[in-house]
Amino acid sequence: MNPLCKKIRAEILKIATKSGHGHVPSCFSVVEILCAIYETIKHDPKNPKWEGRDIFILSKGHASLALYCVLANFGYFEIEKVYSFGGFMSDFGCHPDRTQAPGVEVSTGSLGHGIGLAVGIALGLRLKKHTSRRVYVVIGDGESNEGSVWEAVMVATNLKLDNLTVIYDNNLSHGRGLQIPNPAERFKAFGCDVAEVNGHDTEELKKEIIKTSHKVRAIIAHTQKGYGCRTFCLDHYEWHRKSPNAEECEILMDELDEEAI
Amino acid sequence: MRKQFKETIMDLAACDERICLLFGDVSVYLFEDFKNRYPERFYNVGICENTIVSMGAGLSSLGFIPFMHTITPFITERSFEQIKLDMCYNSFGGNIVSCGASFDYSWDGATHHCYTDLAILRLLPGMEVIQPGSTKELDCLLRSQYNNGKATYFRLSDYPHKIDVPVQFGKGVVLKNPGSKLTVMTAGPLLANVMEACRDLSVNVVYFHTLKPIDKELIREFQNTKILVIHDAFGLYEAVCEVPNLSVMYGGLPDKFCSCYGTLADARQSIGLDPQALRGLLQQKLSQI
Repeated sequence: MNPLCKKIRAEILKIATKSGHGHVPSCFSVVEILCAIYETIKHDPKNPKWEGRDIFILSKGHASLALYCVLANFGYFEIEKVYSFGGFMSDFGCHPDRTQAPGVEVSTGSLGHGIGLAVGIALGLRLKKHTSRRVYVVIGDGESNEGSVWEAVMVATNLKLDNLTVIYDNNLSHGRGLQIPNPAERFKAFGCDVAEVNGHDTEELKKEIIKTSHKVRAIIAHTQKGYGCRTFCLDHYEWHRKSPNAEECEILMDELDEEAI
Repeated sequence: MRKQFKETIMDLAACDERICLLFGDVSVYLFEDFKNRYPERFYNVGICENTIVSMGAGLSSLGFIPFMHTITPFITERSFEQIKLDMCYNSFGGNIVSCGASFDYSWDGATHHCYTDLAILRLLPGMEVIQPGSTKELDCLLRSQYNNGKATYFRLSDYPHKIDVPVQFGKGVVLKNPGSKLTVMTAGPLLANVMEACRDLSVNVVYFHTLKPIDKELIREFQNTKILVIHDAFGLYEAVCEVPNLSVMYGGLPDKFCSCYGTLADARQSIGLDPQALRGLLQQKLSQI
């Protein structure tokens, strides 16, 4: 495991334990994706509203703790601040609020919204002729049960938004519910330029993130919900919205050290 | 009223390059001029109201002023969460402009009737809710509010009234004030029926084209009278009732779907909002005071 990604996972565990909040397995599936994005896109942690930046939206907002820890490690704020996660006066809510947390472009939480906003922003960048800027949005496979996701993809391809990259976190979180088999074929059928990658390989991810196309890009990132801790992977449903206690945290930290999957 | 919508937008867009239109396959032919003149600022997005609102919020985040337009129930009821979260919660302003509200599309049946839009949108923090009753009201309020940085709802009607009333955002208007103990409060195109019903009756008439913020100061002026809200939608009654210590009655919609077709006049008649039935209601209320 990439050392930075392991460090971020450890921080997620500690903060989830201390705060009693967080969707930890959902966070663990997107750590490499988020790191690869922030290592690749144009952004300025000291000036989050920089006019020349690319736009990143975490549409699956319940993975906010992963986003905060990644933003902290990329210099947006001190990680210590994130320990207030979910607290009454905290800037770091269990779903991200753009008016509170630096670096958060769009407030998300209710699934199936971020991608529609991303389509509007991509259109806006094209209208402004900001041709060097792109929009990246991470959606989940469970989130993609929402019809609004596919509505937005359909509109994006119809408008030929070649400045939009959709990253699909295929962590199979919804295997027990409405499954979406073969998402790559679906995105292709909607008119996207599709790539499939190992979503836990930052180098592979980065190669795909920097690519452009004359079509909407869709990167199917095959991930494992809870990646990095055997306990999560064995039963991610139990842990979906459960924070570890101190004893469990120790076990999970050991698992993380072993990189047991 | 949609024609006025187009004319006002054409005028505003000539001086404001931030204006961008996102339509749900409605009024597209009407806006042909706009589309030809500003092809990059007009999008017939498709029959996908959720995405239209989300896209508008996204455009707003970059400084554009979006107008999201299609049929009332679909852009308001279906897309309520997009308006709530993508626009209001995110503080991405823009203009939701609907057509076909209440029973404007009476012949299309209950799927196309919409009377909850004003009430539900009024509940959203930061939202402004406007029901212009005439083309003049639409023109004035569109010009004054389209660029306010807030989520703003304009409820158009294909059946505007022709009564000339003063127009100022957030201000109600007293149209009759004989000092009666009964005050009718109303909004929107239904004003025409109300004025006809009470033409020679001794009732006060107060009219609102802005439902949020509601003009509480004006309402308080009539707090010592019985207030009868006559409206072909929900929202105004609830807004009036925000003023404490009033005696308010509602003369409007029954708790059932309108499973009839026909014309707007037919629909209004079936629920007692035609001039004759309203006159009877007013006479009854006057006799009880």
